[in-house]
Amino acid sequence: MALCSLRHASIMNYSIIILLEDSHADFPQFIENLHHVFSTREDSFEIIIMANGTGGFLRNQLIKLQGFNHAIKAFEFNAKTTQAVCLQAGFKESSGEIIVACGSYQQITNDSFNKSLDALDEGTDIISPWRQGRVDPSFNRFQSRIFNTLVRTLIKSDLHDLSCTVKIFRKEVLEETKIYGNMYRFLPIVAAQKGFKTREVNCQHYQERGETGFYTLSDYVTRLIDIFTLFFNTRFIKKPLRFFSSIGLGSLLIGLFIASYVFAEKFFMGYPIGDRPALLLAIFFMVLGVQTASAGLLGEIIAFTHGRHKKEYTIEKLI
Amino acid sequence: MHYDLSQVKIKRTNNPSNPTTCLYLSIVIPLYNEEESVEKLLSELFEAGKQFEFAYEIILVDDGSTDRTWETIERLKKTTPQLRAIKFRRNYGQTSAMVAGFDYAKGEIIVTMDGDLQNDPSDIPMLLEKIEEGYDIVSGWRKDRKDHVFRVLPSRVANAIISSTTHIRLHDYGCSMKAYRAECVKSLKAYGEMHRFFPALASMTGARVTEVPVKHHSRKYGVSKYGFERILKVFSDIFAMNLIIRFSSNPLKGFVLCAVPFLFLTLFFGGLALLALILQWTAGKAIFFMVATALTGMAVAHLLTLGVVSELVVSTSDLSHTRMPEVTKKRIAQRA
Repeated sequence: MALCSLRHASIMNYSIIILLEDSHADFPQFIENLHHVFSTREDSFEIIIMANGTGGFLRNQLIKLQGFNHAIKAFEFNAKTTQAVCLQAGFKESSGEIIVACGSYQQITNDSFNKSLDALDEGTDIISPWRQGRVDPSFNRFQSRIFNTLVRTLIKSDLHDLSCTVKIFRKEVLEETKIYGNMYRFLPIVAAQKGFKTREVNCQHYQERGETGFYTLSDYVTRLIDIFTLFFNTRFIKKPLRFFSSIGLGSLLIGLFIASYVFAEKFFMGYPIGDRPALLLAIFFMVLGVQTASAGLLGEIIAFTHGRHKKEYTIEKLI
Repeated sequence: MHYDLSQVKIKRTNNPSNPTTCLYLSIVIPLYNEEESVEKLLSELFEAGKQFEFAYEIILVDDGSTDRTWETIERLKKTTPQLRAIKFRRNYGQTSAMVAGFDYAKGEIIVTMDGDLQNDPSDIPMLLEKIEEGYDIVSGWRKDRKDHVFRVLPSRVANAIISSTTHIRLHDYGCSMKAYRAECVKSLKAYGEMHRFFPALASMTGARVTEVPVKHHSRKYGVSKYGFERILKVFSDIFAMNLIIRFSSNPLKGFVLCAVPFLFLTLFFGGLALLALILQWTAGKAIFFMVATALTGMAVAHLLTLGVVSELVVSTSDLSHTRMPEVTKKRIAQRA
């Protein structure tokens, strides 16, 4: 086995971080394919495998991968954690200029890997593959389309396939972008909000090993909450009062409108006012409005006392 | 590269007898699509700089311009050593640009101004004079403003509101031309779109604030970067600002004040409900007043709970906002 050739002796070009979550028998084949793709590119690279709650699976597979030992670093988490934690832990161990993050199995073809890597040119910081010719069941594609459309309209991004586990980006992206929880799939969007140039590349779908058919109810709820979290984080994280006060003000106005209607009826038509449910509804809306707005007040206090030191800009160049 | 500006330290003028060797003044100028103005701006600054008897630097902050602003800055940098510049990855707004400039600045005094040539650098010595008199913040006042009436009017209203709701009395909060003692403004760490509130925010520190009339020119190049939507945002910011200034050190008090009217309503409805029961009004009336009592009572409970949580939030923070007044501490001369 030839050593991977070093075009730039001191600079590591690529760090491939594999977020291993499922045990698939053809895992060694995946690593072999990756190794093949990157060794033909004549750039230096390393493969970092982060086993996330797969038990002893990775240890057994490493025996089969002994031929590639020089290029592989392997780590395992004892208990299953989020992809965001895995990625950032792998990132700490990496030394490459460009990070290639992927899931447990090969999702796009070797050619697509090459195409995506080539697309990361001077003016681009992050590549998000868009799987074409998908090989998973049509119901899966349908769900995925709804999810991506929802995100595109709410967050105003132009990406079509956030569910693809492969993401290619410069190391600056992860240095500036802190992700947590289920935000791994939204990394291109969060990075774009920080001013990094995102580009979508059409890729050939290779295989799909994820769940098919209906997910559990909690999966759908989780996904919806993720989208809302992203929406709130990108628009209102430093000005929570604007979010809460607009809702609160709306509720307060509805309450005032109903109340004035009831009072108008009392004064002009002489209807009794004392036991009208409509008046209770008005009071309810007004109370709700004040409660929502006051939550915004609390948000503003949190932003001021804990968020003041977080810089909200990202710097591209300094001279 | 990953840049961290928090490492930049203020250079103290240890040797006042020879001020030319120490960096005294930093001029921070945010720029957004100002390729036509940059060169003229710098030559105006140099013209004004000829009178300075101290070293100064110019910090240009390119706020994600889409034109050739940054290329122009890079070209000018080659011939002007006292020029330093920051390029943002995208447009973050004037406040962020100024905050980044503050963080990057090394001078003892920081002067901010607009990049669109509407401010006149020849006013800088006048601002510095006031600083030397002992003020921490000197704000420019565009006494003779050269803008369209639709720009001036909402700004007048905003000024009046800020002036009447905060301790600081100024005519023109929106003027970008301001001079600050570096410690004062660095401790603020403003966020959002709050550059117009720097003096008001600084009032939390007890900073000594004053204003001087400055010249104002009409816009020569580019377009004005303001719209109607901005006005709404400014008003929401004024509201948030006031809450923060008043209540960020004792938030529970703010929530209790919110709860007081609801407490009265609860007592009022509760009293009526009792009367309805005792005097045996119609059953509908008694139920109505009892539900109303419950609703308003819940509002009181909710507000008080949030108040206690907010007290928790403040006490778990690093409390730096409660220590802001330290920066305006000044040693006074003692008589022998």
